[in-house]
Amino acid sequence: MKFVAVIRQVPDSESRLKIDAGRVDLSSATLILDQMDEYAVEEVIRLQEKHGGESVIVALGPERFEEAVRTALAMGADRAIHLVQEGYLDPITQAEALAEALRAEAPDVVLTGGQQADWDSQALGPAIAEALGWPVVTWTTALELEDGQARAKHDLDEGAEVVRVSLPAVFTTQQGLNEPRYPTLPGIMKAKKKEIRKIPISAASKVEVLEQSIQERSRLGKVLDGTKDPHAAASELIRLLHEEAKVI
Amino acid sequence: MILVVLEHDGTRLRKGALEAITRARQLSALGDVSGVVIGENLASVAEEARRYVGTVYVAEVGAYTAEKWAAAAYAAAQRAGAKVVIATGGRQSRSWTPRLAYRLGAGLLEDTLETSTDGSRVIASRYSFLNRVTEKQAAGLPVVITAKPNTTPLAEPQGEGSVERLSVELPAAKVEVLERVTEQKKGVSLTEATIVVTGGRGLGSPEAFAGVEQLADLLGGAVGATRAVVDAGWRPYGEQVGQTGKTVQPNAYIALAVSGAVQHQAGMNKSKYIVAVNKDAEAPIFKIADYGIVGDVHQVLPALIEATKKLKD
Repeated sequence: MKFVAVIRQVPDSESRLKIDAGRVDLSSATLILDQMDEYAVEEVIRLQEKHGGESVIVALGPERFEEAVRTALAMGADRAIHLVQEGYLDPITQAEALAEALRAEAPDVVLTGGQQADWDSQALGPAIAEALGWPVVTWTTALELEDGQARAKHDLDEGAEVVRVSLPAVFTTQQGLNEPRYPTLPGIMKAKKKEIRKIPISAASKVEVLEQSIQERSRLGKVLDGTKDPHAAASELIRLLHEEAKVI
Repeated sequence: MILVVLEHDGTRLRKGALEAITRARQLSALGDVSGVVIGENLASVAEEARRYVGTVYVAEVGAYTAEKWAAAAYAAAQRAGAKVVIATGGRQSRSWTPRLAYRLGAGLLEDTLETSTDGSRVIASRYSFLNRVTEKQAAGLPVVITAKPNTTPLAEPQGEGSVERLSVELPAAKVEVLERVTEQKKGVSLTEATIVVTGGRGLGSPEAFAGVEQLADLLGGAVGATRAVVDAGWRPYGEQVGQTGKTVQPNAYIALAVSGAVQHQAGMNKSKYIVAVNKDAEAPIFKIADYGIVGDVHQVLPALIEATKKLKD
């Protein structure tokens, strides 16, 4: 069987973001494999360990994504395909380009992150599924393959569902799906020799990003000491919320 | 034509549907507003919906799957000749709207805070980078938009629309639901609540959430939880606030024994007022708090309940 993880590179959530000329400036940010995609990489490696076959990484993004692709290969995936395009490309158009590459690979299972830590988008997995005419399971927390089908547990807005899905299918990840492994030193050495096939693409985005800004609300920072007299502090806090903030 | 996919609970339109109608009316330069209701036994929601839109399309397709919803919304968009489709944001709609956008060859504006038009494009503002950045996006037509809940005034009824049954070509079912666990929630839903009281790991035990529930009840709010609390099995996943849970934007977000990791902040940092109680004065939550108490939550929480009761009397 063949298992594909579609991954992206994003700024570390602890990184400080800067804005330059109305755009997020990532030049000083630490860039990492998206943590939601990390679950996808771990899962394709586990599926391969259990069912045999091949685990493949597919990425669509600028040249810099190569570092994240190497991380995924160092975790243990076999090889990678990197569709290279600089600049913003909306997830629907991305899905179109990715679907073409995926059709050629003909995998049984495609996994990708439930939400992207840069665009805060949840669209890529479902859009890929639509482009391929496959089913999608979003926010997957457990995945088992049996007799050419998958049994998956996934989160809903309120609650959870267990579903049986025909393969091939797309799954988007959720925390709890697995505990991603760290790349080992031998893994990192091996990854250097693994194949990354680069394919330049030039798709036109359907969505344009006009402007980005960081609008941090200035917070009041009125912190009371409740270590000595918790009752007095609590009364004062409730008073402030009622009379000053007028929210209760 | 603009099509609104009207979310409902089987008997009534949801608040989010009325917000989506307002969004559609704000874009009226791009066409008249029609709506579609999708699901089963839709007579009463269709009757309610026609007080808001010119035509209500009724797609009786049975219980939810993303494939069915995308197919029904697509059929309605085709029938209405809609170039703009608006749905409420939420995990469920965000898993079928990308399918719809792909099928329509449309751009997708996800989880938008505000939408306007310059006559040919739709301009939207939304958050990105884990809720830290505000960005403006533009997309030409056709376009599919999801509207973040609690961002828009509710629409008022307007006229008497007509109701039209829609025949939907359903795709072969590739997903079979074996088991569904719905978390029964009493009171207001987390994403719609104007006050959220969230408990963190520092509460020490699942039993300590009785106090969190009591305070939320007194304030007419909803209970939230951190990832650590949900992972520990103290509270259901549906209550989780943060990067991998829900994003909330209430008037007051009260964080009890929550340290305030970036991943948690991603789900609540746009709240109007943030209130923190933590024994550690250096906890990151205080850096984004409007009001706070440094102290032991086991002493402060009962005191807060008592003070709230006094205020309500």
